[in-house]
Amino acid sequence: MPDFNLKDKAAIAGVGNSPYGRRLGRSPIDLAAEAIANALDDAGLARGELDGMIVSFGSPLGADADTLAALLGLRLRAYSQTWAHGRFTASCIQWAAMMVSAGFANAVACLGSWSLSHIRRPKFGGAGDREGAREAGGGHGEDPVFGMTSPGAGAALVARRYFERYGANSRQLAAVPVAFRKHAALNPLAIMRQPITVEDHQASRFVCEPLRLLDYCLVNDGAACVVVTTAERARDLRKPPVYISGMQPLPGGGEEFIWAYPGLGVAQQQVFEYEAGVQPVYRMADVTHKDIDALYTYDAFSILAWIALERFGFCKPGEAADFTQNGRIELGGELPMNTNGGLLSEGHILGWGHQVEIVRQLRGECGARQISGAEVIQWANCYGDSLIYHK
Amino acid sequence: MAQYLKPLPTITPLNQPYWDALRRHELRMQRCEGCGHIFYPPSPLCPRCWSRELRWTALSGRGRVNSWVVFHQAYFKGFEGEIPYNVAEVELDEGPRLMTNLIAIANEDIRAGMPVEIVYDDVTEELTLPRFRPCNRQI
Ligand SMILES: [Zn+2]
Repeated sequence: MPDFNLKDKAAIAGVGNSPYGRRLGRSPIDLAAEAIANALDDAGLARGELDGMIVSFGSPLGADADTLAALLGLRLRAYSQTWAHGRFTASCIQWAAMMVSAGFANAVACLGSWSLSHIRRPKFGGAGDREGAREAGGGHGEDPVFGMTSPGAGAALVARRYFERYGANSRQLAAVPVAFRKHAALNPLAIMRQPITVEDHQASRFVCEPLRLLDYCLVNDGAACVVVTTAERARDLRKPPVYISGMQPLPGGGEEFIWAYPGLGVAQQQVFEYEAGVQPVYRMADVTHKDIDALYTYDAFSILAWIALERFGFCKPGEAADFTQNGRIELGGELPMNTNGGLLSEGHILGWGHQVEIVRQLRGECGARQISGAEVIQWANCYGDSLIYHK
Repeated sequence: MAQYLKPLPTITPLNQPYWDALRRHELRMQRCEGCGHIFYPPSPLCPRCWSRELRWTALSGRGRVNSWVVFHQAYFKGFEGEIPYNVAEVELDEGPRLMTNLIAIANEDIRAGMPVEIVYDDVTEELTLPRFRPCNRQI
């Protein structure tokens, strides 16, 4: 268990975003600049007070931290960047919390930004995909020699394995995209706001079977940013602080496959009954599942929401198929998830759109989709990392 | 032989023996002389005990379907004519899993746990791919 005594020592002081959309025709640097400026303004911080930056994702599709620092005229004491995958959102915020606690920086902009406007038919996988060319294969199971390519194919492999092992099916999985689209309909920022039904999901074409088009997230342009400061500093700023009270890092190793918890039996994972136990993030934040008012997760593909629920012990392995039915994960349900609409419907902002939404929910700024009385919100992912925020 | 349009493997000094063995119609993976662990993908040392005493050992070429997907969208030009095509993850009797395509079976008939055996597919003069087909066997 982390023992940095960092519980509630860092906070989100401001959040900001660019518009989210397809073919905005703007560069990732332009989108990032707008999100950063909006986040500083939200916090009531001047540009000169921003002295740290951590970017997840980066070129060629995103904006890099060094470039942003130069073009935006920043003087950074510390910056860093993760490689071009969507899985590092929590890691960035965790580093930022440690940076402000260590005095490496006073205010750290954490962000993701990207644009696909210049690509004629944007999609991931296929010729030119660098993932598939990695020595020993891609991070989502890519093996182009056999036609195995794209992050979604890795998620489809997990979905099939899950369906076979636990007797679940595509119709049950529809509950996830249907719920998130319902939320997106209440979110003016969201790209896809037209409600969908289970029948719509079942009628949508297979992309990589058993996953259908409506199991896949959007590919779009956009940027979102959160500014991390010490809790002490945040209390003096424009908006009420949102405290970072629990942190759980990203695990790695042979028993991990990006879209599956250990034991599921994908790639080289052993097969056993996964037990969530008490995940460290809850112990650090000193809360239990019952205290979590809403859950946000990286939903590049619908199945990832099931995996995250089981990985963090909201239900047992194989139970998410039932758990997500009958509105339980919708606004007004027992555990609302991805009230922004997620990557599936708000848009793919590399996980940063979710962080912005969480902060706005905890401040009570979400209008028609506000979770009443939200106090504790968790970001928890299929690949095992997490943050717990509270107001 | 007609021009081969599908992606080629990224051959490195580490995985060269794997591909060389396939060319000879043998499925070989590294076996640790220290602890007996057989593993894939190739590694410079045994992931279990870190021994570097590794031997490229011939495997049975038999296994079972662990999971599979069916591509309904073309990503590679070379696969366009084969949509919908399957990609399966086969678990070998010796333990490791590998990605492959199942042949001699309709996509709708693929089942988890189905026993399969290797077919050496000489796709070019230099490249042999391990594909798998259903086979009969008791438990
Ligand atoms: Zn060994």
